[in-house]
Formats: sequence, structure tokens, C-alpha cells
Amino acid sequence: MTTPLRKSLYVGFAGLSIIGTAAACAPKAESPAVETPATQNGGQVSTTSPSSQGSAASGASSYKDGTYSADGTYTSPNGQETVGVELTLAADKVTAVNITTHPSNPNTKKFQGEFAGGIAAQIVGKDIDELNVSKVAGSSLTSGGFNDAVQQIKSQAK
Amino acid sequence: MPHPGWSLFGFEGIGTQWEISTPDALAAGVRNQLLGTVSAYDEVWSRFRPDSLVSSLSRSPGRITLPDHACGLQRVYSALYRLSGGRMTPLIGSSLERLGYDAGYALATSGSPQAPPQWEGTLEWTGRELMVTKPVVLDVGAAGKGQLVDLLGEVLRASGHTDFLVDGSGDMLHAGTHPVVVALEHPYNPKQAIGTVELANSALCASASNRRAWGDGLHHVLDGATGRPIQTTVATWTMAASALEADALATALFMMEPGPLEDEFEFSWLKVSSAGAATYSAVFEGRLFS
Repeated sequence: MTTPLRKSLYVGFAGLSIIGTAAACAPKAESPAVETPATQNGGQVSTTSPSSQGSAASGASSYKDGTYSADGTYTSPNGQETVGVELTLAADKVTAVNITTHPSNPNTKKFQGEFAGGIAAQIVGKDIDELNVSKVAGSSLTSGGFNDAVQQIKSQAK
Repeated sequence: MPHPGWSLFGFEGIGTQWEISTPDALAAGVRNQLLGTVSAYDEVWSRFRPDSLVSSLSRSPGRITLPDHACGLQRVYSALYRLSGGRMTPLIGSSLERLGYDAGYALATSGSPQAPPQWEGTLEWTGRELMVTKPVVLDVGAAGKGQLVDLLGEVLRASGHTDFLVDGSGDMLHAGTHPVVVALEHPYNPKQAIGTVELANSALCASASNRRAWGDGLHHVLDGATGRPIQTTVATWTMAASALEADALATALFMMEPGPLEDEFEFSWLKVSSAGAATYSAVFEGRLFS
């Protein structure tokens, strides 16, 4: 199912990202005037169609669930650059955002690389026993002394 | 054990559990060197033992001469103190003791939270030379474990081991041709993970406030500006070339946004807020469960 996401959301989101990129790209020595055009041009979304596999949203949802993507262009001090934005919608909420970069020169690659990453609205847990892993990184195990002391406090508090 | 058939050397040191994995069993001499490195580190830096080198500074001001590895620790702490505006500081020990995380594990507050003294005017630390102008409780807990992971890695390399995983209870250094998949512990449920990462020739460190906690809102990651436990971030992970940097940066992420840190350090990061939202840099892309 291919469902065009409302353009306003696209432009709004892509624009936001691109402004962030432009700011991150601005070399500290550059005058603000150089980055101004980038900000103003931010959100020039190309005609990439959203690829949506989402199911039809029920009820009063404004947007169909699914994963949407678009490329945005901006003018950096290095010339025209493109970033891709992919977001996943579920029940009108953005549940995942991916920024993909396809820079045309090394400097931009560095700056876009720093910006790339993302957010998850809510972490999701899976039982470690069910994962094929042998190592876990998290809070450090504590020593016997600390644990004993905590136990004592807990028993005192009862 | 990270790989079937690998040999595991486990021990307790600096207040936590350690596991060193290698394809072949470690020789007795190497094991002794590893244990010796751990005790030597503890004898210098532990604020939990009265006979440590830094403990002397809590009784009276003065100057101490540290081992060579202090240079790396000083560089990282100096940079992060500056970048965090004093919120990450090796002087945090007095604030931890105030809240009960002291050598006797009192685990009871002895007053309202108190900010530690400022580095400026209190601490002069250049490489191996460290001087304080008044008694202070030094605490390098934010980076020390990571550094010890690195030091153990050096012992292994020096004895010819090219494949290993040093795991200081979640702070890890990997070397060799066999990557290890590591689960990222759920900050609210230690039986669960929120994702996995592949670790190969790099360090992975985590910082979380859930386990070293001893009361309502009391845990060991304190804000150096206020002396209060930080409540907005609950867990962070970092990957960097050294465990020293990764460990220190994982704590720094509790206190500040990643941007300024990325200007000075090469690292990847994942940060989970107390609301359960995660933000991350590119390496963690696609690694979280959804």
C-alpha cells in the first residue's frame, strides 16, 4: 500500500532535521550568513514516494501506520547535500526515526555522520534468557559488602 | 563465555566481578599479573580503604605521586570537568559520602546533598603529580573501572594474547577476530535487554543508576554542581577505542548532552531517559528492540 503522507508532516519533519544538520555542519569560523540559506532552503523535499507497508489505521487516526521515507536537500557551504529521513508512524505517533546520509564530500560526511543516529520514543525489553548472548552491559554488579548493607537496610525498614 | 570453548578467568576486584575470556586458558603467571594489576590499582585509588594512596588526602592536604596511568585519567577528567562545567568531577567523593555511599557502607544520608569543592583552588593534578590544598575525598569511580579494563588488556597483549574479552561487570574491552554480541541491560529490569550490539576491537561501557542505589532517589551518579543524584537519565552506553574514555563518557552523558563531547572524543553513545526514551548515535542505529 502506498499512501502519501501528508506533505506538511514531511516538510515539517525534514525541515527540522535539516536545520539541525545545517547547524551541526556550520564550521565555527564561518559567519552565520553562510548557513542562513541552508536554513531557509531547509525542507526542500524531493519527490521520493513514501514506502508504506502499514495497515490501515482504525478510528480517528490522522495518519496511516507505516514506515515513510523522504530525501531532503539543503545547501551547505560545500554545495548541495542530501539527507534521507525515514520515520515509522503508529497510531499517529512517531515511533522510530532514521536519518540516512549520502553526502557528496568528506567534510559533509563527517558532519552528517555526527548527526546521524536517532531516537526511540520508548525502549522495549526482551528477556535476556531468550537472546543468544553471553555478555550483558548495564549497571555494574556490586560487591558483597554493598549488597549486604542494602539488605540490612531493607530488613531494618520492615 | 563469549564463545564456545573459550576459557574464562573470573575474580572479584575493586568492588565488582571480573571475567576475562580467552581462546586458551591463561597461564598462572599471567593470572597473577592480572590480579596484581587489580590490587595495585585498588591500593592507589580506592576511597573505600584507609590505606590507599588517595585516602591519605582525605585526612590532610598534601601531594601524592601516582603511577604512570594517572596521566590518562587526568587528561580525561580534566576534559570532562571543563566540558561539563564542573558537573563531572573527581572531587565528588565527599558528596557520595554525604549521601551514605562511604567506606563503611553506611547507606544513610548524613545531611542534605552537598556539592563537592571546585577543582580550581582545591586540586592541582598534572600527570602523575596530584596536590590538594585541603582534605578531599577523591573518587575516580566514573572512569577508574574502565581504565583498569584497559590495563588488564595491556597485560594480556604483553603476554602475547591477541584475542580476548575483558569484562569488568559490564565495562568491556574486546580484541581479536571474534566479535562478541553484548546485550544492553534494561535499566528498569535487569532480566531484560533493550537491544544488542556487536563488539569488535573496541571498548563498550555502561553506566546505570539502578543497581548502586540504596534508598529513595539515592544512587551513585551524582551531579557535581549540586551533589544530588541525577534523575533525568537512567542509563547510558558508550563505545570508544579505550574503556577509560568509554567509561568516563558514559558517566558524562548523565550530566550533559552528547554534542560537546563529540567535538573532543571519538565515541558512540546511547542514552535512556527516566521516561524510557532513547537517543543514540549512528552505531546504535537499528540495535534497539522495537
